[in-house]
Amino acid sequence: MSTFDATAGRSGAAKRRFGYEERSALLFLLPVMTVLMAVAVFPILYSLYLSFFDVKLTRPNRTPFVWFDNYIDVFETPLFWTSVLRTVSFTVISVAAVTVIALLVSLLLNEKFRGRRLLSTVLLIPWAIPYVADALMWKWIYDSGYGALNGLLHQLGFIDKYVVWLGDQNKTIWLIANAFVWKEVPLAAILLLVTLKAIPEDLYQAAKVDGATVWRRFIHITLPSMRPGFMLVLVYETMVAIRHFDLFFVLTEGGPGDASHTLSWHIYVETFRSLSFGAGAAMSYILALITFALAYFIIRTVGRVN
Amino acid sequence: MSEAASTSCVVRSGQPDYRRRARLARFGRAVSIFLGSLVLLAYVLAPVAWLVSSSLQTEKEIVSVPPHWIPEEPTARNFQAIFSAGEEQVTYETRKTTDASSGGYIPPTAKNLLPAMRNSFLVATIVVILNLLVGTPAAYAMSKIRYWGRDASMYFLLMTRVVPDIALVVPFFLVIRKLGLLDSIWSLVITYLAVTVPFTVFILLQYFDGLPDELDKAARVDGCSRFQALTKVFLPLAMPSLVAVVLFAFLTSWNEFLFALMFTQTVHSQTLPILVASFTSDFTISFSFINAAGVVAIVPPIIVAVVFERHIVSGLTAGAVKG
Repeated sequence: MSTFDATAGRSGAAKRRFGYEERSALLFLLPVMTVLMAVAVFPILYSLYLSFFDVKLTRPNRTPFVWFDNYIDVFETPLFWTSVLRTVSFTVISVAAVTVIALLVSLLLNEKFRGRRLLSTVLLIPWAIPYVADALMWKWIYDSGYGALNGLLHQLGFIDKYVVWLGDQNKTIWLIANAFVWKEVPLAAILLLVTLKAIPEDLYQAAKVDGATVWRRFIHITLPSMRPGFMLVLVYETMVAIRHFDLFFVLTEGGPGDASHTLSWHIYVETFRSLSFGAGAAMSYILALITFALAYFIIRTVGRVN
Repeated sequence: MSEAASTSCVVRSGQPDYRRRARLARFGRAVSIFLGSLVLLAYVLAPVAWLVSSSLQTEKEIVSVPPHWIPEEPTARNFQAIFSAGEEQVTYETRKTTDASSGGYIPPTAKNLLPAMRNSFLVATIVVILNLLVGTPAAYAMSKIRYWGRDASMYFLLMTRVVPDIALVVPFFLVIRKLGLLDSIWSLVITYLAVTVPFTVFILLQYFDGLPDELDKAARVDGCSRFQALTKVFLPLAMPSLVAVVLFAFLTSWNEFLFALMFTQTVHSQTLPILVASFTSDFTISFSFINAAGVVAIVPPIIVAVVFERHIVSGLTAGAVKG
């Protein structure tokens, strides 16, 4: 603030709102603002606008303004509620598993041992590869005829005959979540590791002197200190899981039946197979609102209490 | 707590006892670290190893029950098909001759893999360059110029990433169709910019904030313009974060699927993920070929991740510390 006043005084600008600093900042920000206005702000507003019209590509010349009909229709579709249910179970399973596994991984990588660097490099592999490759890989592992999962379980004697894994409605969400978790764990672990490293060593020393066991130190020092990391991971992973699309597209296409018909898949089908752009846009905004509300909820509950 | 302390005091001949316990604890720690590392390595690498192993198997071997974990007669046939597909026409008649053991089903679209890879590289490279051009001045201004509305520009950046990508598909689609850019790599460049630019600015902003403001003032006193202060003083110092930005923008563009699925139709603009995904839904295509395509898609990002590991981790955690 003081820098601001000094420079403002030097340039002698009486108008603080748009002085020398503002003009030069504007120049530097102009490219970014232009790009984002064109490629981000405009589409966001345009899609909000679309959600109030009955736009169908199958009927391009008539796009009546329908107020909130798109939104009302969405809530009256039973399949929408199914998709909400599927999204919720996928998100809950995935985020819980990612958080727990990432916690274990970060605790391991926080120790000092030979080969730790190699291990953390290898860990980046799932994070780096495309979701499509992740999906393809797991699709082949789950394959009912020649997949590795069937082969392994059969060789170990856990199953008598090969199972059609992705064809089982009760297992689908779990199997897709597994492919998701495999790819998301590295990022979550790295984020948790940062907060782990930030815990001052004195805290542990003091607890040791007091005779606290490893377990008690973990419960009373490590976990509470990791709160910011947990918040970050929960918010980020929830936002990613709730909107996830790629795995559903490659692995199951929403099937079998409607077992993996999540909200993002529902939006895709509605928009690009039924070509109802207005309804798709309306649902996207519902999804955006849910995401926003969830992120807010997590930040309030996990982030604030201290 | 006090119990634990008192027991070690009470035991008279305690020296050897707690020493043994300490040694046991150290041993236990070593064992659990070893086992933990082993489990983690297997968890991360086993699926990838299976993908690679399958990509090297012949059509006959890949449908064996139980599966061959390690190919008995490894073949590079699938990779040859990908990298020399240009000269070789794969038709229903010729594909039978390609793999004598079974008649390996290599799709005629195999020849599109190389162009798809080229598209992926082109899009990613253009996106990276535009990110740097647009992102660096913005991050510099937001970090070092005390202008009115600085917080507002931060929130503006954040807001652009709140709406899910799938909500942007429809407006993007309509705009791109109107501009006549459907099935052109520029449709992807435009959309990926929207996804990557806010993130780029955040990474750089975080880094510039760590550099002292005095640097800026010193440069200005010495007669540099703001632009020169940025290019001559800050950019050389910000190299690590610039590398992080390059990697993120590159990987995001290389891996993106949803927008590419909507806006590309032919070999002119299809990126690698789109082509690979199209193979997986075709039941006539050989599994080993699909897996080879998968390997081709994951090798570049894995190389990037392994070579630039340090930069990636610092970039990923740039915002996390303050979080």
